[in-house]
Amino acid sequence: MHVVILYLGVLLQGGMRDVELTVVSSILALMLGALGAIGRLYGGRIIGGAIYWYVELIRGLPPILQLFVLFFGLSQFGIDLNPLSAAIIWLVAYGAGYAVEVFRAGIMDVAEGQHEAATALGLDRKITMRKIIIPQAFVAMLPNLTTLIVLQLKNTTLLYLIGYADMMYQARLGADATAQPGPLYVVVAIEYLVLSAIISRIGSSMEKRAAAYR
Amino acid sequence: MSNEVVVKVRGVTKRFGDRVIFENISLDVHKSEVVAIIGPSGVGKSTFIRCINHLHSFDEGTIDVQGFRLVGGQSPSKAELQALHNSVGMVFQTFNLFPHLTVLDNIVLAPMQVKKQARQQAIDRAMHLLAMVGLQNRANTFPKRLSGGEQQRVAICRALAMEPEIMLFDEPTSMLDPELVGDVLEFIQRLARTGMTMVLVTHEMMFAKEVADTVVVMADHGIAEMGPAREVLESPRTERARSFLRRVLNPVGSPREPNLVANGGDDR
Amino acid sequence: MALGRMSRIRPLSTVSTVFIEVVRSIPVLVILFLVYYSLGQIGIKLTGMAAAIVGLGAFYATLYAEVFRAGILGVDNGQREAAIALGLSHRDVLRKIILPEAFFSILPNATNQLSNLIKDTSLVFTIGVADLMFQAQSASAVTFEPMDMFLLAGVIYFLFYLILSKVLARWELNVQRSRS
Repeated sequence: MHVVILYLGVLLQGGMRDVELTVVSSILALMLGALGAIGRLYGGRIIGGAIYWYVELIRGLPPILQLFVLFFGLSQFGIDLNPLSAAIIWLVAYGAGYAVEVFRAGIMDVAEGQHEAATALGLDRKITMRKIIIPQAFVAMLPNLTTLIVLQLKNTTLLYLIGYADMMYQARLGADATAQPGPLYVVVAIEYLVLSAIISRIGSSMEKRAAAYR
Repeated sequence: MSNEVVVKVRGVTKRFGDRVIFENISLDVHKSEVVAIIGPSGVGKSTFIRCINHLHSFDEGTIDVQGFRLVGGQSPSKAELQALHNSVGMVFQTFNLFPHLTVLDNIVLAPMQVKKQARQQAIDRAMHLLAMVGLQNRANTFPKRLSGGEQQRVAICRALAMEPEIMLFDEPTSMLDPELVGDVLEFIQRLARTGMTMVLVTHEMMFAKEVADTVVVMADHGIAEMGPAREVLESPRTERARSFLRRVLNPVGSPREPNLVANGGDDR
Repeated sequence: MALGRMSRIRPLSTVSTVFIEVVRSIPVLVILFLVYYSLGQIGIKLTGMAAAIVGLGAFYATLYAEVFRAGILGVDNGQREAAIALGLSHRDVLRKIILPEAFFSILPNATNQLSNLIKDTSLVFTIGVADLMFQAQSASAVTFEPMDMFLLAGVIYFLFYLILSKVLARWELNVQRSRS
């Protein structure tokens, strides 16, 4: 057991780096995703089509392949990213792809009658979006947003493969040094369990507050 | 009712793809007139009144509303639509209140955003309207906490807050429990007495007889019969109007007309 | 597992619930490591391939359990009431009414998870299984042209994905049409 005590400090440090990365990349991904969803819905054939295929690529290719293309693949063309920037770029690009779908589904979830009522009252498209559609879409998509952020957190496990010093990376180092991988990976599992429980808890309390009108 | 025509429909045809919903509909609505549109379901009544305020486009013909012209197959400019929606209010079968806004915010939203009224002014008007239907103490409630009848009365207040010249009602009571229908109809009747011009799609025959000046029977993609409410409802001249009214007013059939039972299920 | 979670037998439902919730919140890669390395240390030595099957199997079993549960709960309660009112037994209600109804709402989610499973097979190279990703990596270590290999692997994975999502989506559509 003493391996755990020995490595707990660095593991937690690595965990903190995962948390930071999750928070930063989720915020950026959500902002890009919202823009992407509007482009997908109202951007016409070319922009909408491009975003559609981007989302399909992000969803269709294994995450690890995307990460390797960014980190190893691009270096073939002289674009050398350090682990941190490759990690952020990938997490944002990946999260944004999923966020587009989450936002789009949320917007489409708002009943047709709401559009009709707003139009009949003479509200223009901008006000309708801002005052009627988006507030309702936001509540509808909160559960999916929570899932998305948990997904971002889980994706940080892959980053050790490009040498980003997160929790998984520290655990591997420890496992190699002590030949006792067992307890170390259990600690990693517990950390992820706790972190995703926290995210889910925050998410569901936000859902409760936001859906007070339902 | 005056002689001034405020809605003039001429030869309007609407299709969805190859399917004809209705064709060649012509109709005049005078100022302060109450027009009730009745007819079997699926005949395009709801689609038709949505053409009047251009929630639906139509393919042929023209509709003049308040001196403003909609032409089949052409889309009006944003400014034109804005003016149209300012003077034509609409009430929906499913209420369509904004669920995330309180009753009061539902009513003041459009006056503030579209007419740029000050919040206090909009609130005063909203409270006045709510008081008319006895709901002033529900102003800060969310719509889902209200009964269907209360929601529909709020929805009417929301449309009235824009001070429209014409009101469209799309089956305003057909989603309500029977005991809640009365309050809504009573409010619409009061509105009619103030001289509001109204076009309403309804299944309430007794109400149509009492409140409407004119009844329009839609059947088979067009207008089967149209005329003074009492005349059309009590002694329809055309066979299509007769057979529709017979089925609605006497759904179970009567011993003297045994074949009605066999035809009872046929809605077209 | 889905049935276990919804069971009226308390211990069974508690155990299923906890297992599902725990496994679901751990990243797949960590699960693979737990199965391969951690179990190995306490004497349960699995080959990379076996560990991959056990790890991915356990993880996706929980995901599918949730998909099934959502599908079963999604069946209109009126269906259940109607079946019980007709005098069907509890087992027959589940077998003849609920499961067939649930099947169609489950389909899209189930195929979705299947394409996730295919993508996650790309992770097993980390525990030494020679999958597509492993081949691409080792080839690129020889050629120093990683991009070409990644592109090839990418195309293959993406084709899998497209076939799965588009072909199955069409099939689902046909099923739905034939039912309505």
